[in-house]
Amino acid sequence: MFLTKKHMSRRTVLRGAGAALALPLLEAMVPAATALAQTAANPRSRFVGLFVPHGMAPGYWVPDKVGTGFEFPYCFKPLEAYRDHVTILSGLHSRSAEPPPGATGADHWVAAAFLCANKPKKTNRADVYAGTTIDQTIAQKIGQDTLLPSLQLAVEDPGANSSNCGEGYSCTYTNTISWSSPTQPLPMELNPQVVFERMFGDGSTGKERAARRMRNRSILDSLNESLSRLRRDSGPSDRARLDQYAEDVREIERRLQIAMKASTVAPADLSVPVGVPQSFDEHIKLQFDLLALAFQADITRVGTLLFARDLTGRTYPESEAPTVGFHGGSHHGEDPKRIAELAKINQYHVKMLAHLVARLDKTADGDGTLLDHSLVLYGSNMGNPNQHLHYDVPHVLVGGASGKLTGGRHLAYPTRAVPTGNLLLSVMETFDIHQDSIGDSTGRLEDL
Amino acid sequence: MSVALVSGQSSQPAEQSKPTSTHQARPQSPPPGTATQRALIDQYCVACHNARLKTAGLLLDELDLAHLGNHAEIGEKVVRKLRAGLMPPAGMRRPDAATLESLIGWMEHELNRSAVTYLPPPGLHRLNRTEYANAIRDLLALEVDAAKFLPPDDSTRGFDNIAGALTMSPALMEAYLSAAGKISRLAIGDAAAPTQAVFDVPSDTAQNYYIEGLPFGTRGGMLIKYQFPVDGEYTFRVKGVTGYFTAVLGQIAGEQLEVTVDGERVKLFDWDREIKNTTGNGRATQRVPVKAGLHTVGVTFLATNDVPGTELNKPFQRTMNTPGEISGFLFYPHVGQVTIEGPFNPEGVSDTASRRKIFVCRPGGRREEGRAATTLNEATCARRIVSTLAKHAFRRPATRADRELLMEFYRTGRTEGGSFDDGIQAALQRVLADPQFLYRGEPEPAGVAAGKVYRVSDLALASRLSFFLWSSIPDDELIDLAAQGKLADPVVLEQQVRRMLKDPHSDALVTNFTGQWLSVRSLRTSEPVVNLFPDFDDNLRNAFQREMELFFGSILQEDRSVLDLLTADYTFVNERLAKHYGIPNVYGPRFRRVTLTPELDVRRGLLGKGALLTVTSQAARTSPVIRGKWFLQTFLGVSPPDPPPNVPAIKEKPADATGNLKAPTMRQILEEHHTNPACATCHRTFEPMGFALENFDAVGAWRTQDEGQPIDATGTLADGTKLDGVASLRDLLVRYQGQFVRVITEKLLTYALGRGLEYQDMPLVRSIVGDAATTKYRFSSIVAGIVRSQAFQMNMKTREGNQLRVAR
Repeated sequence: MFLTKKHMSRRTVLRGAGAALALPLLEAMVPAATALAQTAANPRSRFVGLFVPHGMAPGYWVPDKVGTGFEFPYCFKPLEAYRDHVTILSGLHSRSAEPPPGATGADHWVAAAFLCANKPKKTNRADVYAGTTIDQTIAQKIGQDTLLPSLQLAVEDPGANSSNCGEGYSCTYTNTISWSSPTQPLPMELNPQVVFERMFGDGSTGKERAARRMRNRSILDSLNESLSRLRRDSGPSDRARLDQYAEDVREIERRLQIAMKASTVAPADLSVPVGVPQSFDEHIKLQFDLLALAFQADITRVGTLLFARDLTGRTYPESEAPTVGFHGGSHHGEDPKRIAELAKINQYHVKMLAHLVARLDKTADGDGTLLDHSLVLYGSNMGNPNQHLHYDVPHVLVGGASGKLTGGRHLAYPTRAVPTGNLLLSVMETFDIHQDSIGDSTGRLEDL
Repeated sequence: MSVALVSGQSSQPAEQSKPTSTHQARPQSPPPGTATQRALIDQYCVACHNARLKTAGLLLDELDLAHLGNHAEIGEKVVRKLRAGLMPPAGMRRPDAATLESLIGWMEHELNRSAVTYLPPPGLHRLNRTEYANAIRDLLALEVDAAKFLPPDDSTRGFDNIAGALTMSPALMEAYLSAAGKISRLAIGDAAAPTQAVFDVPSDTAQNYYIEGLPFGTRGGMLIKYQFPVDGEYTFRVKGVTGYFTAVLGQIAGEQLEVTVDGERVKLFDWDREIKNTTGNGRATQRVPVKAGLHTVGVTFLATNDVPGTELNKPFQRTMNTPGEISGFLFYPHVGQVTIEGPFNPEGVSDTASRRKIFVCRPGGRREEGRAATTLNEATCARRIVSTLAKHAFRRPATRADRELLMEFYRTGRTEGGSFDDGIQAALQRVLADPQFLYRGEPEPAGVAAGKVYRVSDLALASRLSFFLWSSIPDDELIDLAAQGKLADPVVLEQQVRRMLKDPHSDALVTNFTGQWLSVRSLRTSEPVVNLFPDFDDNLRNAFQREMELFFGSILQEDRSVLDLLTADYTFVNERLAKHYGIPNVYGPRFRRVTLTPELDVRRGLLGKGALLTVTSQAARTSPVIRGKWFLQTFLGVSPPDPPPNVPAIKEKPADATGNLKAPTMRQILEEHHTNPACATCHRTFEPMGFALENFDAVGAWRTQDEGQPIDATGTLADGTKLDGVASLRDLLVRYQGQFVRVITEKLLTYALGRGLEYQDMPLVRSIVGDAATTKYRFSSIVAGIVRSQAFQMNMKTREGNQLRVAR
């Protein structure tokens, strides 16, 4: 059955909302018509996109050798245990993040370009324009018969700034890295409780959630009676609208069915998170746990998470540099001591990534583990952040991508020659999505 | 009245082109033949609008005036342009005012008497988000923020309550389903799991003002009305405003922050020690016990630290500049966000307003204080409760089928949940998910033939009335009258209209109508550039809005003529707004009525209102183009044609002979609109009106200079009027008051019917205006005229094959 797409195309631009509405996310992810059963031709791959601003400490993240057998550099040490699933990429050029010639600072408002390699349009009004990000393209392909086509997560509150961010750019460009179309940013959910409810329905125990689903089911069943009563007295055009209404009811019933199937996988001992945790450590681990669970229960197959917003002064008390603010630390002034401090923060972030990787590795999935069947892309749009340089930016791919990705390698690209768009194009290839180009790409990434 | 066809028009003498009376009057009966009118049209219109030139696709040389009714669409187009004074255009010969009036009057008369019945049913009409929230409030005595459950609505024809644009989709239906569960649980009082409710202060709010409702001697912060779901313990977390680098802004030290619940202090924070250093995560109070229901939470600073700043520059009204700070200025800390977390240790639910509303009885065994113990058994009481709910939610007396359906849900809920309350919650949830709640349907009687008109049922009429005047469900009085078949009685109907306009619910009409007709809602997204308008803050934005609501509200409540909207010599201000307007001696946040003395003449009427002047400007500058166009559309009911594609952006003027870049005035910037004939034909119809308002800058403040040069607010209109400043523009509107009243009637009628108006509706508009003229256009007359009309009370039965396939 077909869904009316009227609402989607006329939706106004969503601004990054943080701990706000559940609905717009659902709205933007309405699955198109699809068969319920998944054809088992390909193993179900998952995709995760993770963005960290402010680059990485120079000298602390590029492996000593190209190819295999390298020593894990300081920043990426937490991933060492997963060597066979890790590919480090150096030398890439984040052209889409570069400010227009002559402008400075504009390159802090380009997180939106991370997954679409398209320079965002300079505007601080409602007419934002970036590009369709690859997580959404992938979700279009593999996420249509899951409860949630994709999941967008955040760990930093966008704050009250919703439009005028700086240098004439809208804050939307830093609030989210997932865009379902060039003009449609998707809000990233800050509140793990909201994420949980979206995955499993609301209710504090499994029993309660199931009961609420059943209640919705019986309401939907009984709606037909009310509809026929309305229909009886209506004119012809109203009858047509009520018929459409009845079809919409059937569509929700179908989705409810999928949801009920998925919710049976929620572990009985998983307690509902209450709101946003105080510490970053707790918060991001919780979000990652939920994402892994969502993969495991096939509630979704695509996720993105924004580690931090550009310019954040957030400190990481659980890291080895507990008093260094992230943005301040990234302007190390080429002082070796301060570069070392920045590296500690970078490593801490990767440690959080390792938490997700560990979860995926521990979860069985078909003939292997979730990690075997996933592709996690983690990177930044700056290299040496002190001068806001956007070349030699750090990227790492983790996971087996269902056999499409060989791990244990360091791929070094000639500096300033290979745009990140090429990486995005190749990532899509591993999901059997063949596009000619994306954003500023010049071709596929060699050797991937 | 049958159409009189007079033949032999060509034999009529041509001297009849001079009207016999000079005062404006509608001819009582059409003069014999149409020679007069034909001559006029030939003389003044056909030079352009002929079969050869086909200007604007209008062929007036071929228009059959004897059968104007057969060409009503063209006729109405012509009338509209003439009534707005736009035709004949500037530079072309024009008849004198009396002649022109006589021609227009004749045309209107012809169109009126040959009007066809046009009563398309608005169709299934979904509640929009505002109406949904109001319905919940009136049904359950529960205040909810509908934006938390539902997406915004699509609007068309300028309003978001147009039936055709309020579509349904699976995602929206899921939203309603989910809302039904959450709201029913909140209303009954569910021992819910702890949740967070987040409240943000807009980043551009100045917080050095006292907020009404908070204790005296405080400044800034926020006042929250929150529906606590159950008795239990709650915490309140406060975050400061953070800018770049997520550090808490505000250098002035020594601030103390108070948190109150219903006016009682529950915590006093030392800002410097407890909140300032939290890098934006904020700090929570201890757990505070609160009973279920609506309570006010106040978070505000003690205004004991009010020292004059040591900065050299004059401080601005806006006290915080995000995302960074302004060098050279010291700021006070500001409250950025408050989060209410809880309930912890929930204890069930005591009495709340919504429980009292829902439980119209209690099952036997419970003695009520001061009342005899009720001895109903559970099922009887449940039946009574669900009947009441169904009656109000479905806006008609409950039927046996309703009761049976809802009692089924009651029984299931009772069994599953284990208590009476759980059963009622299940039934309520079912009610809220029902299309009969979400949709206004108007039953079509079976016996009526296609193409025939029928009166809408009394109950449908009750809903039309309440959604028009209250944006909400009808109350018991309306439903009961309708159920007894008394509502359609003209006397009863008029009484009800009067009652409803007096009722506080009619505030919704003011807010929603002015919000949309006058675009006051756009204020929320107006963000004037900080560096150019550092005095513009959220306090001013709110004040603008409140002024509009109180001003329009005064017209409604005092039943004034709608013409007072143009000329009233009073307005409503608080201290912040008074500062902006330059009105002296107004202190405090409370709004009060002030008389506009002759020095403040420019502020009289809608044209002087800051809200409207701001929403018709760009973020960095005024826009005579936008203002002129808005003026035409909002007050005269016409739109200029669209601009051609590829109009280039405004060019910067080059430096002058001395090498200084002289910033051009607005008039200089828009020069090409006047000099280039391709632009001027359209722009000169409305831009002069925009220029007449140039003394108001982009945030509605009065100015006499633009870029160092005195403002030139002059202009000439198509009808020869010479404009110079806002007073002259106001006089223009007063002269065109007939058209103004027609336009406001059109808008109100659109809002009331929930469908856009077409040319076939214009005779109705004219008749409502004509009737209202006898009371000098009092607001209630216009409303009564709308309610009395056929369009409001009747539909035409549609033909089976004619309806459109629902677009997929």
